[in-house]
Parts: sequence; C-alpha cells; structure tokens
Amino acid sequence: MSRPPHEKTAEARDRRVLELWERLVEVEQRLIPTGLHVFGRAGDTRECADLLRAVASYDRPECGARALNDLIAEGLGLGAYEKLLEDKSEQGWRVRANVDEVLRESIEIFLRDGAGRARLWLHENARVETEDSFKVFELLSGIREQLRTSGELDGLARSLRGEYVEPGPGADIVQNPAVLPTGRNTHAVNPYAVPSHAAYARAERVVGLLLERHRAEHGRVPRTMALVLWGLDNIKTQGEGVAQALWLLGVRPLRDSLNRVTEVEPIPLERLGRPRVDVVMTVSGIFRDLFGATMMLLDKAVRSVAALDEPPEMNPVRANVAERVREGGCTAEEAQLRVFSNAPGSYGTNVNFMVMDSQWESADALGDLFVTRKCFAYGRGPGGRALEGREARGALARALSRVEATYQNVDSFEVGITDVDHYFEYLGGVSKAVEQHARARPAIYLADSLSREASVRTLPEMVRLETRAKTLNPKWYEGMLGHGFRGVAEIESHVTNTFGWSATADAVDGWVYEEVARTYVLDAEMLGRLSSLNPHSARSLVARLLEAEGRGFWEAEASVVEKLRDAFSSLEDRIEGVA
Amino acid sequence: MKITALIVGSSLLGPLKHAEGEINRRHAAGLRVAAHNLGAPLADDEWEGVERDLCESEIVFVIHVTDGENAERLIRLLDRHGDARRAVVVINCMPELMRRTRMGRLSFGGSRVEDGEGAATGTREEGRARRLFKSVGAWMGEQARGRGRGSKHTQYLRFVERMPALLRFVPGAGRLGDVKNYLYLFCYFLQPTPANVSSMLLYALKHYGGDARLSKARVPPPEAVPAVGVYHPDADAVFESFEEYRRWHDARARRAGTRTLEASKTVGLLLMRTNVVSGTRLHYDALVRSVEREGLAVLPVISTFMDNRDACARFFVGEGGKPRVSQLVSLTGFSFVGGPAMNDSEAAVEYLKGLNVPLRSAVSLDVQTIEAWRDSPTGLNPVQAGMQVAIPEIDGATEPFVYGGMPGGGVEPVALEERCRRLARRLARWNRLQTVRREELKLALVVFCFPPNKGNIGTAADLDVFPSLHEILTRLRADGYGVEVPADADALREQLLGGNSESFGAVANVAHRMSVDEYLRLCPYAGDIEREWGAAPGNVGTFGRELLIQGVRLGNVFVAVQPTFGYEGDPMRLLMSRGGAPHHGFAALYAYLEKVFGADAVVHVGTHGALEFMPGKQVGLSEECWPDRLIGELPHVYIYSVNNPSEGSIARRRSYAGLVSYLTPPVEDAGLYRELASLKELLLAYRQSADARERERLYEAIEEKAGALHFAAE
Repeated sequence: MSRPPHEKTAEARDRRVLELWERLVEVEQRLIPTGLHVFGRAGDTRECADLLRAVASYDRPECGARALNDLIAEGLGLGAYEKLLEDKSEQGWRVRANVDEVLRESIEIFLRDGAGRARLWLHENARVETEDSFKVFELLSGIREQLRTSGELDGLARSLRGEYVEPGPGADIVQNPAVLPTGRNTHAVNPYAVPSHAAYARAERVVGLLLERHRAEHGRVPRTMALVLWGLDNIKTQGEGVAQALWLLGVRPLRDSLNRVTEVEPIPLERLGRPRVDVVMTVSGIFRDLFGATMMLLDKAVRSVAALDEPPEMNPVRANVAERVREGGCTAEEAQLRVFSNAPGSYGTNVNFMVMDSQWESADALGDLFVTRKCFAYGRGPGGRALEGREARGALARALSRVEATYQNVDSFEVGITDVDHYFEYLGGVSKAVEQHARARPAIYLADSLSREASVRTLPEMVRLETRAKTLNPKWYEGMLGHGFRGVAEIESHVTNTFGWSATADAVDGWVYEEVARTYVLDAEMLGRLSSLNPHSARSLVARLLEAEGRGFWEAEASVVEKLRDAFSSLEDRIEGVA
Repeated sequence: MKITALIVGSSLLGPLKHAEGEINRRHAAGLRVAAHNLGAPLADDEWEGVERDLCESEIVFVIHVTDGENAERLIRLLDRHGDARRAVVVINCMPELMRRTRMGRLSFGGSRVEDGEGAATGTREEGRARRLFKSVGAWMGEQARGRGRGSKHTQYLRFVERMPALLRFVPGAGRLGDVKNYLYLFCYFLQPTPANVSSMLLYALKHYGGDARLSKARVPPPEAVPAVGVYHPDADAVFESFEEYRRWHDARARRAGTRTLEASKTVGLLLMRTNVVSGTRLHYDALVRSVEREGLAVLPVISTFMDNRDACARFFVGEGGKPRVSQLVSLTGFSFVGGPAMNDSEAAVEYLKGLNVPLRSAVSLDVQTIEAWRDSPTGLNPVQAGMQVAIPEIDGATEPFVYGGMPGGGVEPVALEERCRRLARRLARWNRLQTVRREELKLALVVFCFPPNKGNIGTAADLDVFPSLHEILTRLRADGYGVEVPADADALREQLLGGNSESFGAVANVAHRMSVDEYLRLCPYAGDIEREWGAAPGNVGTFGRELLIQGVRLGNVFVAVQPTFGYEGDPMRLLMSRGGAPHHGFAALYAYLEKVFGADAVVHVGTHGALEFMPGKQVGLSEECWPDRLIGELPHVYIYSVNNPSEGSIARRRSYAGLVSYLTPPVEDAGLYRELASLKELLLAYRQSADARERERLYEAIEEKAGALHFAAE
C-alpha cells in the first residue's frame, strides 16, 4: 500500500501521478472490439476513426506510407516520435498529447471532409508537407472504401459455384490492411521465408525489453526461459516469435540459394553483449504443422549454441546440457531437446477443457496435463533423423525444471489473453508445469506489440489491463450485448478465460472477480438482461464466479456469495421453466 | 566403373537406371550407377552411403541440389574427396556447388577456361563457344536461384536445340574440349529422355571414364522433345497443339462413349516437364484415368514451370479468352508464377481471377518415399510441405492431396490409387456444384457449440453466427438454392435451440435418430472407432441406443450442430497424450450429411470446429486420417475469421476446405468509464494545478480513488 500523502515528497507524488496517468492512458488507448461481425455485412456503419488512427500509426513500407505520428512529430519540430514515447516526464506527456491530438483531429477531418482537406489541415497546423501525407491518406481512403461493401457473401457464392476464390493474407486490419477485402481464401506463409528480415530486426528490440524487464526485477537476465510458440502470430508477423527465440539463444538465420532460411549461425558473444538464454520451446500443434522447416531450424539453433566452446555463465545451453549429461542416464543428443509439441496428429494442451469443465482437483493436475500433452520432441535425433514427435516426458520435465521465466508473444489486440482459452492453456499451462518442476513460480511475461510502444508486461499486469479495457468496460460489454444471445456467451467466455489465469498461474487479483460480480450479477438490471438474452450463458457465468470463490481465487463477502447462489438458482428455474 | 548421380526429384532415377542397363548391354562396360535423392536433408547413414559411392566413382553428377544443408555437406564431401581423376559435373545448382565442377582441364572454381588462356587468341568458334558457355552459366545461375522466367525457359529450350549444331564447329580436342563436353552434357540433361540420359552417361564415360573400350563409343546427338504440349497416357506422342489433342481425344471419346472435351466437364492438369520427358509418369497416368473414370475429360498439359501462364494461355484458354477447362490441378508444386524461389502470387492471382477456374494442387512424393510418408505420423516432410503445399496455397490452391510418389527401392513414381480415386471423386463433386441446377443442390451448414451447452450454440470467434446464417440463407435463396429461410435470426435460433431438444436432453433440435444398424452401415470406419470408444452408440450425443443428429432441415439446406471432441462424456480422454478417433456421434453426423441428407457440399460456419483437428497426419493425409475420412468426398467451404490464418490453414490442409474470410469486429479505443474517467480528471487537475496546497488535496483524492479502483497495489 502507498503511504499517506503527507509522508510523500512532492516529487514522489508527481511520479505517482504520472505513473497512474500512464496506467490510465494504457487502458484508454487500447483498441478493443466493440461487437461482433455479421457475415456479409459491410463495415461502413462502424465507428472507424480509432481503427484508421491505429492504421495510420505505423510505417507501411509496402505502400510507401509513413506513420502519421512521425510526420506530425517531425513537422512540429519535436524529433522522432519513438523518442517522445520514451519520455515519461510531465513535459513528455504534454508533448505526446499534443501530437496525439493533431493526429486525432486530422483523422476526423479526413472522415468528414476527405483526404485533401486533412492533408491541407496537417500542412497548416503541423507543417506536414502534403506530398508526405499523400500515401498514408491514400491507404486510409482505400480501407474506408473497402469497408463500405462486403465481398463475403459473393465469396461464399463463388466458392459454392466451384469458382476460383481469390487468396488473401490473414491478419487484422491494423497489422496488415491487405486483408481487405474479406471473402477470400486466407493463406498462411511459406515456412522457409520465416523469420523475415523485418521480423528478425523487430525481435531484437522486444527481446531487449524482455531481458531488461527481468533484469530490473530479478537482478540478472534469466538463464533459462520457456517460450510458447504459435502459428497465429508467426504467420501474421512473418516469424517474430521465432526470431525472438533465435535472439534469446543468440543466433541469426541464414538463407540458402533459393532464399530459404535453412541454417543458423551463432552470434559471437562479444557482439551479443550479454549471456545467451537457454530456451525451452513449447509449440502449438498448429505451429508444428505449418512450420515444419522452422521446427528443424529451432532445433538446429539450440544444437549449434550447445556446441559452442563458451564459459558456462555466458552459455547456459551448453552448461545445462553438460550438467544433464553428468547426471547420467541421458545422451548429449537427448539433453539438447528443446522443441516440444503435441504427439503427431494431436493439438492443444487440453488444460482449457479441464478448466472449463471443472474437471480438476488441484492445480498440479493442470501442469501434469500440460506435460502429458506437450512432451513430444521434434527436431533431429540420433543419426540426423527427424524425430517426428518422440515421446520425451523426462526431457521436457527436466528442461522445465530450470526455467525462471515463461513468455509468449502477443501480436494482436483482436485476440487478447482473455478473448480465447488458448492463451491460458498454453502460457498458463507451461507456467504451472514450470512451477511444479522448478518448485518456484516463474516470472510470466507477454510482449505486446500492438501499439507503437512495443512493451513487455507481466501476466498480472496484462490481466488487469484486459479486465479494465474489456471485461468491465461498458463500451465493450454493451457492444457485445448489442448482439444479444451470442454477446452473453462472449461475456461468459471472457470471465471463464480470466478464471483460467487464476487456475493456471494465480495471476488474477481478487478484485477482478468482485468487480465482475458487481457488474454482471449484483446489478439486478444487468442480470435481468443477461438472463433474458441467454440464460444458459448467464448461468455459466454465475457458476464460474461461484467456482472461483469456492477455489479461493477471491474472498467474497458472505452476502455476495448468497446473492450469487440466489442468482444461480433462479437461472436454473428459468431455464427449466423455459424448457 | 561407377557413376554417382546426386539428384533431386522423381524424374531422373528411372532414366539413370535404364541407362546403366543400356550401356552395359551395348558396351559390356560393367557400369554401376548409384543415385541419391538430395531433395530433403539426409540422415547420417545416408550421407555415409553418398560418400562411399562418391569415392568409388569415376564420374559424379550433381544436379539441381539447392537445399542449403545438403549443399553444405556435399561441398565438404567433394572437397574432401577432390581427385583430379574424378570428373564432377554440376548442373543447375547454387554457385558454391557449381564451382566444384571439374572435368579434365575445366574447373569452374578456378574459372580457368572462362577468363584465362586463349581469351585474346581465340578463333571465332572458340569465341562462340565461350559466349555460349557464359550464357548457359548465367541461365543456370538463375535457375538455381529460382529466378528464371517462363518465356526465357522456352526460349532456352529452342536455343539448346540448336546448340549441338553450333558445337560441331568447336574443336573437341585442346583447350575448349572440356567446355564443349560440359555443354553437350548440359544439352542431354535439358531433355532428359531415357535415350538422352543414356547418352549423357555414355558421353561422360567416353571422355572422363578412363576406360579404353568406351573412348571409341559413338554417342548419338541429343534428341529433341517439344518444350510444351499435351500429354495423354493413351496417345503415342505429345500433342503440340490443343487442336491436335482434341481431334485425337474426341475421336477416342466417341469410340469409347466417354466424355468429349467440353469446358464445363474438363479438368486441366499441369504436369512437370521432366517427368513427361523422362517417361516417369505412372502417377500421372493413374490420375488421368481416375479423373476420366469419374466422367470428366482431362486436358493434361506440360507445365511451363517458371510461369504457368504460358501453358494456360496456350492450352487452357480457347476462343474469346474462354477457358477450356473448369478446374485446374497443378502437379508441379511451387508458385503458379515464379518457380522455386520467386513467388509472384500477385500475377498468379490476377491471372487466375481472369480465368475464374479453381486451382487445386496435388502432391507427388518426390523427395520422400511412399513408405516414409505412410509410416510417418506427420505425413509430408518439411520440404514437401513447404514447396508443394504452403507455396501453392498462396496462389489460392486447394485440395492438397498426395496422389503418388517414389516407392522405396523403386526407380520411378507410382500412383496411390486410392488417393487418386478420392481426389478424382472430389473433383467430380465440385463439378456437380458447377453444373447442376441450384435448386437441386443440397447444402449442409454446420455450426459449433463449445463448450457444449445451449448458451454456446453458434460458437465462432468474432462472429454473430445466427444473423450470419440468416444472411447466408437469404443469399442462397436469392441465388436459386432451394432453401426455406426463417423469418429472422431469432426465429432460426429458436428452431435450432428449441424444437424437440428437451425430450432428448440434447443441445439442439434432433433432426434424425440414427440407429446403431444404420450407423454401422453408413460409417465404414465404425470398427476403428469402437476400438477407441467402445461399441456404438457410446454415450456422447446419444439417446438410448440411438445417435442423435442435431440440426434443422430448411428445404435443401440442413443446419447442423457439430458435436465436440466428447471429453464431457469421457473425462479420462482428456488425460491421454494423443487422441485415437472421433467418437461415434461425430462420425455419425458426417455420415448423415453425406449419405442420408445427401449433401453436395458442407459449409462450416465460423472459427472453428473440431473436424480438422481430428487425429491423422498433419498434411498430406492418407485414407486412414480422420479428417480425410470424415469429410469424405464432400466439397468443403469454411467461413473463417480473416485474423486466424493459422487454424484456417489447418482446415485447408487437413479437411480440404476452401476458406471464405470474414471481417473482424469493429474496434475502438477502450476509453475510460465511470470511476476511471473521474480518476483521469483528478490526475489532469493535479497536473494542471500550480497551487501546492490544491495539489496536496487533489493527491489525497487521487490516492483514494486509485485505491478504490485497485491501482493501489500496483
């Protein structure tokens, strides 16, 4: 708890105020979905200013557009926008607010009066040369145009007539506006193109932040980390997650004559300037399927680092392998296994099913299940043969026992950590497994590359942010409730996914449940709406809150529990009556 | 005497083995030809074999090796066993490997011939040979880097046809003899007919074999083969024009009473030139016959590999730009435009949109044996998956079927008859969608419900499923399909959710109760499921002894609810490290859709279901893989969130879905609400205030509010 104000110096108070300011801005400016999509309906009725502003905040080298924030900051003579973001002083916030305000205004003018006026206004008010802003507004105009119509039903009709359905990339609009128009046949990427040069460059920064964050709190960089790798972000970012793993190990990818990434090369320690990090990779079944060549590359990266003659404090991979071999009962080849996924033909950790279906007694069951499902080794085994998922429970358990921090790259605001059950089943699952095998809870991090400020957060920070920006936010839940039946299911699913973070990582503050209960159940009017729109999901939501209380994830007042129980039984009655 | 050939793919092994026999028969040379496929990284023992063969050989051919890891290891081997007496002929490889060419006095590594002696004093013929050599070298460089262009390729083939004539004037002895020899070998290689490959080996032996018996052997000049054309297994030769093919094809079709070449019933195939030329095409033959057996005509065309638009323009497009085919199946892998390393998907898509014919891409196991694929729990190896599935997908290709490949110990690719039949039937089912009157077509729309309870009917990431279904049904009716559209989305939901569901304790209306007898009759895989889940009907989605098919019938459309994995019915299954089979209820639904309802296509609505995650290989499925069994012959369309390319790709590869992407929801800044908004006001007031006492007062309020908002502990 903070000390009473009078004990704080004025400087300390100022600092605290700016910290709080930063927390609030983080919530306020976070992009959230405000509803659901209906297939075939155009997006033109949508409020799209925030979306366009987000799109305009990134350089788009593919179409020659520069980020508007940068153009404005430069026009106003403030220097690089990136630098402004780093300045968290009073002055820094003011300057930043100024740029943001100009950006906001210019987008509004664009929406109201068109690109020409917006560019002129920017020229007059921020000295942005009109030719410099041409491309970015061209891009925004294109997006707006494409949102006015929907090609989805046509795409479906074409498909059902057995015609050619145009392919398209998969991502969200901010990441890659080329996903428009929809109604196309989404494709993945060529695994041999991963990681791209750009992804490898971006990953260096994130890995730097990640290690810095850990160092700030633990005094040194972690020697061993567990990473979750998914297909989702690695397709959309052309392999940022993969590149992060390579950076942690301290290797760089090499391309062959067909421009395919097939080899790696260790970065010398003097160039790396820090110790390497041993990395245990727990990989989704989907990544395994889509990135077969990359699985081999990651394995190769580990083995190439293990083979380096470097001091143990600088090369924990080599040290850990040597230690494991000394312990006996294990070949050097086996001691280097670091790429784990499901058994071939299987997907997922099932931790999500177990949590959602309340089929667990103690949390250990969740960690055990994670290891059971994910203990299949990939890469190259004895004699250089592909392992193709050899069961290696001992190897995974042993590798996890050394882990100090777990991590996953999150690339998209559209699929956040409480939006789907997969984040908690993976990152939560591996963290729980580490906790069991290392006998200490790891630090859990998520990189959040969805704003200009690439940032690394701890899991509890991320849960709070998601809760404040979405679950408790009227803008979010009213948007969902606008979709009636399905919206209630969506709210329930968020609560359950949040619960998943309690179950696997104890990463949810008690107040989160308290506020959820207050928002959705204790508010009689709200409960009434949920019950009439979708009593089944409303019942599940109340049941989940009761389960959270029962499992000790929050300490509810007796009266609150009482009210939850009442709500539950009246929903039961209602459902049976409805039947 | 021994030759080692390090090759990639499935087309050269057959001719090499044939050459070995021919040369031994004619010249009693005691020749042994060892060949290794270097398409995918080799294991250590395989490398030992390569090394052994290499050491024992007088001549080594290295052809098309582009894989980085293999090239690196091979360079090490060649350097270790470099021997002036051993000729090393490297063709179409990356520059580092090309430099290992060593034939007599020719060594690419030293570039001796290129810019050394004779440059100033050369005769006209020498100059010509040198220029030729240089341009061939440059061409190869482009090929090896995968940057060659189609038109250039055909141009070169024509050029190469004239090359032997040119080379006649180059003296065989002396400084340029080895250059001439290299160019000769290259000419044979470019037209790898069995006779040419035989000549290539004989030519190499004659000049570099060190065996007196062969030094006088007469080697025939390269035989020429058309660069492009139409191939059909029943015809004697390749047809150089569509008209020639049509005359032959339709006369034959009329005699046999089979399908003539009507565009709406014709499937265009793109074949690898090397397989056609080298006569290693049993897999093509089988696929052609399988498609014909399904009542479709076939137009199998030699691909203009680096840019298939050439082949299409020449053979698949008729008068007025109208396509002569209604489906396109590429058997070449890689990009439709651009070849191995250049992926010009923009050009490909532009072209295919104009053609408006769906592109399928089927896989031949060229760098993996059939046995290795069959035994592999993962299916295609990473090289095959990348080159023959992931890259074609970017051009919009669907249905990544494995239809043939190299048998272990065999010398040429053969067909996987069952896979050919399945693919052909699927093409025929797609053809039905293209040609049958819409009111006769039946469609299944499948929605999800996860976790399984009534509240979750219509699970889909970011999609409001019932209004979406209503939009879809409305559109289908407008397009002429025989669908009864409910009044609105809510009415549809009530029909599905309500109905008779309560009387069966089901999530949704029960449209059909399948008896165990019916199920066992309709589901040929029931036995395999019983091994996993016990005797049918089991206890997931059942009522007594019946399996419940949940959904509602709306005319010719059936809206079904897909069962889940079934963990609820059998919690122990959660704890298993791998799944073995779907449960009976799951299989029953798809048996129902295909065989009872008689669907012509199935549309899964929303991201995502369980079918594509059922056990089996990851890509390049066999008839034993569950997604393959479940989707069967049904054309499959999947409505999928545009921001989920990863899971969507699993649906494409493992259940042969064509995706139709949907937009993600509208987004806005989260903004601040209630007390968060008032906290911000306080913070702003604090920041703007210059009065110390006011700031202190404000600070107190701030801490209080921050505490109430749970910021205190952070």
